Amino acid sequence: MRRYVWLLIALALVIAYPWVFSTPFQQRLGALVLLYAIAASAWNIIGGYAGQVSVGHVVFFGCGAYAAMGAYAHYGLSPLVGIPAGFAASVAIAAVIGVPTLRLAGHYFSMATIAVAELARLIVTNTDYLGAAVGLSGPTVPRNVFDLSFISALPYYYLFLIVLAITLVITWWMARSRMGFYLRAIKDSERAARSLGAPASRTKLHAYMLSAGLTSVAGALYAMMFGFVDPESGLGILISVKILIMAALGGAGLLFGPLVGAAILVPLEEISNAWLGGKGAGLTFVVYGAIIMLIARFQPGGILALVNRLLSKRKGAPHAP
Amino acid sequence: MSMSKLVGLLSAAAIMMALGTSAFAQQKTVKIGAVFPLTGQAASAGVHAKAAIEVALDIINNAHPELGNFPLAKNAGLAGLGGAKLEVVFADNQGSPATGQNQALRLITEEKVVALTGAYQSGITLTTSAISEKYGIPFVNGESVAANLTERGFKWFFRTTPIATDFAKVYYDFLTEMKASGAKTDHIALVHDTTEYGASVAATITSAFKEKGIAIAQDVAYTTNATDVQSQVLQLKEKKPDVVIMISYTSDAILFAKTMQSLDYKPPMLLADDAGYSDPSFLKAVGKISIGAFNRSSWSVGAPGSATAIIAKLYKDKSGDEMDDTAAREMQGFFVLADAIDRAGSTESAKIQAALKATDMKPEQLMMGYKGIKFDDKGQNILASGLIIQLQDGENYVAVFPKANAEKAPVMPYKGW
Repeated sequence: MRRYVWLLIALALVIAYPWVFSTPFQQRLGALVLLYAIAASAWNIIGGYAGQVSVGHVVFFGCGAYAAMGAYAHYGLSPLVGIPAGFAASVAIAAVIGVPTLRLAGHYFSMATIAVAELARLIVTNTDYLGAAVGLSGPTVPRNVFDLSFISALPYYYLFLIVLAITLVITWWMARSRMGFYLRAIKDSERAARSLGAPASRTKLHAYMLSAGLTSVAGALYAMMFGFVDPESGLGILISVKILIMAALGGAGLLFGPLVGAAILVPLEEISNAWLGGKGAGLTFVVYGAIIMLIARFQPGGILALVNRLLSKRKGAPHAP
Repeated sequence: MSMSKLVGLLSAAAIMMALGTSAFAQQKTVKIGAVFPLTGQAASAGVHAKAAIEVALDIINNAHPELGNFPLAKNAGLAGLGGAKLEVVFADNQGSPATGQNQALRLITEEKVVALTGAYQSGITLTTSAISEKYGIPFVNGESVAANLTERGFKWFFRTTPIATDFAKVYYDFLTEMKASGAKTDHIALVHDTTEYGASVAATITSAFKEKGIAIAQDVAYTTNATDVQSQVLQLKEKKPDVVIMISYTSDAILFAKTMQSLDYKPPMLLADDAGYSDPSFLKAVGKISIGAFNRSSWSVGAPGSATAIIAKLYKDKSGDEMDDTAAREMQGFFVLADAIDRAGSTESAKIQAALKATDMKPEQLMMGYKGIKFDDKGQNILASGLIIQLQDGENYVAVFPKANAEKAPVMPYKGW
C-alpha cells in the first residue's frame, strides 16, 4: 500500500513539474527527460530484463524518426501516421536481425548490433528516398495540430508523459508475466534456463521485438519535436550509447531505472552545455564523463538499486523502542 | 557508498541551481546569440567562427578609424542605438541538430538575445532557425549552403552567403572563359564525398551544367574521412578528364593530393570547391604539391592597408590562423546583422526584421567579394557571388577570376609538384 502512495506522489510531482519550472527551457528539459526515458525504458526490456546488451538500438530509433518525417516529406501526411509504420518496420527488422544475432552470447551480441546500426547508417546516407546525407525535415510551419509542431514544450511534455506511462505499464505487465520470469532466468544463466525448459530463443526474440517497437515510438516523437532527422542525428551510434547509459545509470532491469537515469543525465548534459558550452573548451563532456565514471565505479547497479538497498536496509533494521 | 551519495547530492544541487537561474537581462548592451559547433567533429570550424565573431565584435564595439568607411568601424558601439555595445552569447551545438535547437531556445528565452547567428552545419541551421522562426527572432546565417534553408517560407531567416547554385554559375562562367582562351574543358569529372555537403554540391553542379547543355562525364564518389583513395585516383587516371572538380573536406583533400602525387596523376585543370582546399592546414600539408589548383572563394585578403587586409591581420592575431573563406563569410553575416540592428535603432524583433529586409549594402561596404547584399522574399542574398582563386606559388591563393577582381592571370595547366 505504502508503495502506491509513493507512486502517486511521484506522479503528481511529474505532472506538476512544468508548472513549477515554467520557463520554456525548463519545460523543454522536462520533455526531453521523458523522451529519453521512453527510449531507455524500451531498451530496458531487452537490455535490462533480458540482459542482452544491444548497442544498436538506434536502428529502431531511426526507423521511427524516418517513418515520421517520411510520412510528411513524401506523402504530406501528419508525422503521427509514421508512428504505426515505424513500429511495424522496427518489429520486422528486429525479427530479421534478432534471429541470427540473439544466438550470440554476451559481447558478441553487442558487437553484432553495433555492426547492424552502422550498416543502417551507411545505407540511409546513400539512399535518396530517405534524404541521403541531407536528411528529412518535418513541417516547418504547422498546418494543424496533428503536425505536432508546437512553440511551447508543454504539449510535448504531456504527450511524452502518456507514452512513457504506456511503456512502463507494458514493461510492468511483461515483467510480471511468464515472459518476465523467463527473461530473468535467461539473464541469470541462459544455459540453466534452457535446461529447465524455458524457451530462451523465442522469449529473447519477443522481448527484442517489443523493445524495438517501443524504441521506434521514441524516435518518431524525437523527430516530431525537432522537425528534422539526418543519418547522424537519427542513426548515430552515440544515441544508442546515450540510451544505454541512461538505463544503466538509473538501474537496468528495474522498472523506473531508465526514468531516473534520464532525469539525471539529460539535465546534466543540457545544463553543463548551457554553462560551459559557450567557452568552447569541450568542458561539458569532461564533466559529463566524470560523473558517469564516478557512478560506474561506486554504484554499478545504478542509482535506483542503491536507493532500494538503502530502503530495505532501513526496513530490516530493528525498531528502537 | 558515501561517495556515490555525495555525487548524487552534488549533481542534484547543480541541477536545482541551474534550473533556478534565470537570465538577469540588462538592456545596456545588445545581446546576440551565436550557436556553433564548439565541440565534436566540426569543432575546428566552430572555434574559428567564434574567433571571427570576436574580431567583428572588437571592430564594432571599439573605434577603428583605420578601417575607413567600413560600416560600424569608425566609432565605438552602435551609433543608431546611442553607442550601445554588442554582446555575443556563444552556445555549443555539439554537432547535433537537437542540441542546436535546445541551445537556440535557451538563448532566446533565458538570455533574451535579440537575434541569432550560426550554426555552421546546414542540418543544425535548419533546426536552430526553426525555433527562432517560431519565436519571431531574426536569424542571420552567413555560411550554410544547403539550398532548402531558404525554401521554407520563413520570415525571420536571412542568408548572406552564396549557395551551391551561385558557385555552379561561377564555375560555368570560369570554364567558359578558360575555353575561350584555348583550354580544353569538354570532359569534366566530379569528385565528391557522400556527406550532405559533397552530395548536394555535386548534384547542383551536375544539374546546373546540364541546363547549359554540358554533361558531367564522370562522377567519382567516396566516403568522407577516407583512408585510401587510390581507386578513385586511378579511375580519373584512366578516363583522363580535362577538368577535375574536387568537392572535399580537409583530410580527404590532403589524402587526394598525396595520392595523386604517388600515382603520378595530374589533371590538366583542377578546380576545388572551397572547403578542404581553403583550410590553412591543407596549404601547410600539401600546398607545395598542389601548385596551380583553382579554388572557389568569396574572400580575398586584398592590398596591404585595405580594410580586408586589416581585418585579416586582426583575425590572425586572435586565432593564430590565416582567415579562411568560411570564417570570413560568417563574419560578414554577423556584420550584416549588426548593421541591421544599428539601422533599426532598436532591439525590437520586428524592427530588426524590417531593417534586414531593407538591407542594401554595396560592395565597398563589404569584406567579402559579393556584388552587394540584398535579400529576396525568401531571405536569400541575391547579390552573393564568388571568385576563382589559384594556388600559384603553393602557399597563398590569388584571385584570378572574374577579371574585375583578378590580382593575376590564371596559369594553365595544373602543375602539381
